[in-house]
Amino acid sequence: MIGIMQVRLSGFGGQGVVLAGLLLGQAGVFDGKYISGSNSYGAQARGSGCKSEVVFSDSPVDFPHLTTADILIAMSQGAYDIYCTDVREESGLILYDQAVVTPREGLTVKHIDLPVTEVSVRRLKSKQAANIVYLGALIESTRIVTTGSIRKAITMHVGERFRSLNLKALRAGMDLGRKVHG
Amino acid sequence: MPSRWAKSPFPKGRYYFSGNEAAAEGAIAAGCRFYSGYPITPSSELMERMAVRLRKVGGIFIQMEDEIASICAVLGASWAGAKAMTATSGPGFSLMQEGIGYAAFTETPCVIVDVQRAGPCTGQATKVGSGDILQARYGSHGDYQVIALSPWSSQEMYDLTLRAFNLSEQYRVPVMVMADEAVGHLRETIEVAPRIEVWDRKKEKGAAPFDIEGQDSVPPMPSFGEGERLSVTGSTHDGYGFRKTDDPEIQARLVGRINRKILDHKRSIIETESHFMEEAEIAVIAYGFTARTGLFVVNRLRKEGKNVGMLRLKTLWPFPDEAVAEAGRKVKKIMVPEMNLGQVAGEVKKYVPCDVISLSQTNGEVIGPEKILETLKKI
Repeated sequence: MIGIMQVRLSGFGGQGVVLAGLLLGQAGVFDGKYISGSNSYGAQARGSGCKSEVVFSDSPVDFPHLTTADILIAMSQGAYDIYCTDVREESGLILYDQAVVTPREGLTVKHIDLPVTEVSVRRLKSKQAANIVYLGALIESTRIVTTGSIRKAITMHVGERFRSLNLKALRAGMDLGRKVHG
Repeated sequence: MPSRWAKSPFPKGRYYFSGNEAAAEGAIAAGCRFYSGYPITPSSELMERMAVRLRKVGGIFIQMEDEIASICAVLGASWAGAKAMTATSGPGFSLMQEGIGYAAFTETPCVIVDVQRAGPCTGQATKVGSGDILQARYGSHGDYQVIALSPWSSQEMYDLTLRAFNLSEQYRVPVMVMADEAVGHLRETIEVAPRIEVWDRKKEKGAAPFDIEGQDSVPPMPSFGEGERLSVTGSTHDGYGFRKTDDPEIQARLVGRINRKILDHKRSIIETESHFMEEAEIAVIAYGFTARTGLFVVNRLRKEGKNVGMLRLKTLWPFPDEAVAEAGRKVKKIMVPEMNLGQVAGEVKKYVPCDVISLSQTNGEVIGPEKILETLKKI
């Protein structure tokens, strides 16, 4: 078991958490990784707290569910409050948006504040694109999957009507990630 | 026996499928061209995918009014010559038991995928459970055999559904894929091979469809419309399908044969997988999703130098008695974690002289690594 990376995307049902997890996992498969993905199911996925978890590995994984997150994307305060303490201490990373989430004081895990809501509303004219903006920022700052693979995944799983919006959102997210990274 | 190598209908490669989607692809690859079902959480994605895929490959898909009708339509389709299946979860599986008994007695090939959820009854529709294991074996009345397989990954939802069809055709028996919610909804990398081995039912013009004289094996199976004289009945019947409900010899012969045709071949049906069993003192015996947790814990304890091993049951029925007995001879203690109140632990106890500890969990959650670790440490 070498090189395992565990990502948890979380927020409200309806924010596109499950789709973002699907795209991230699909991109990992295109990159040749062993992926195990699971997400909220039933009523949770459609309104209240919702999560999607993706485990990346270079070899087949034994236990396929997330044990401790290496990366947390928190798209709502509620999700942040539940999951912020379950992120790996030394190397972990939390992506959030100050406009939506107030981080907890005293946590040592690295936090990256991304103005995702502002970018979605101002630049993309759609709040719905926030999930993909997060993905773009995540990919730019961690290189967890390649750009080619995530674009391919979007083309595969997103309907034609929303495809160009999602590709734009990906680019906007990557710009954000680059800025944060300097 | 008629097995052949066929080109996979799905292009060779790596895919990101949920277990339910992968099972549908495995069915299509095996040659399934008929699906009838009634949607039920957590199996519905399988049905949804079959609706799309069967249309593309020229098969037939019907949503029935309930699960009783669903299994009956599957059996009708099978006698019309199609490889046929349905999928369901616990409540639907209960309704299907009468049809499953009919399939076993009339030796009708069919595949049933049960994506188990937390029961009994309606229970927790969206939550995981594994409480249908004994029902798969004993759910219908009378003495009969079925084959039941237990997938632990998306890959095995593909592989074992494909195998379920092959076994079903080979032995003319209902085959159940006993999945669970966690495996059905788990999305994983799966690999599709370019060529697959496919079994088709045996045909022989004029031969008796319900007996082979002097042999405890599987008779050839004609379909309606092929010009054979064919009568299919759930009453006791002779080799040609004529009702013989007063004949003690025919009844004994038929019941004996439908059991022996499976039990005599159990060594080629049963599949198990051993992990670190060579020098193990304690063995975990697990199946389905729980075996993933089991392996995770065993891997971890092995790194700490503990003599723990795992036997995974890929086949649940016929029960892997020989593999379990062999494990029981090697180790001092056996622990069986499962998402029911010890259904397989009870079976294990029948075949081993050592202590068997049942780790049961029926709260609608998967058994996590800590729980198994904690129990093993106490042992």
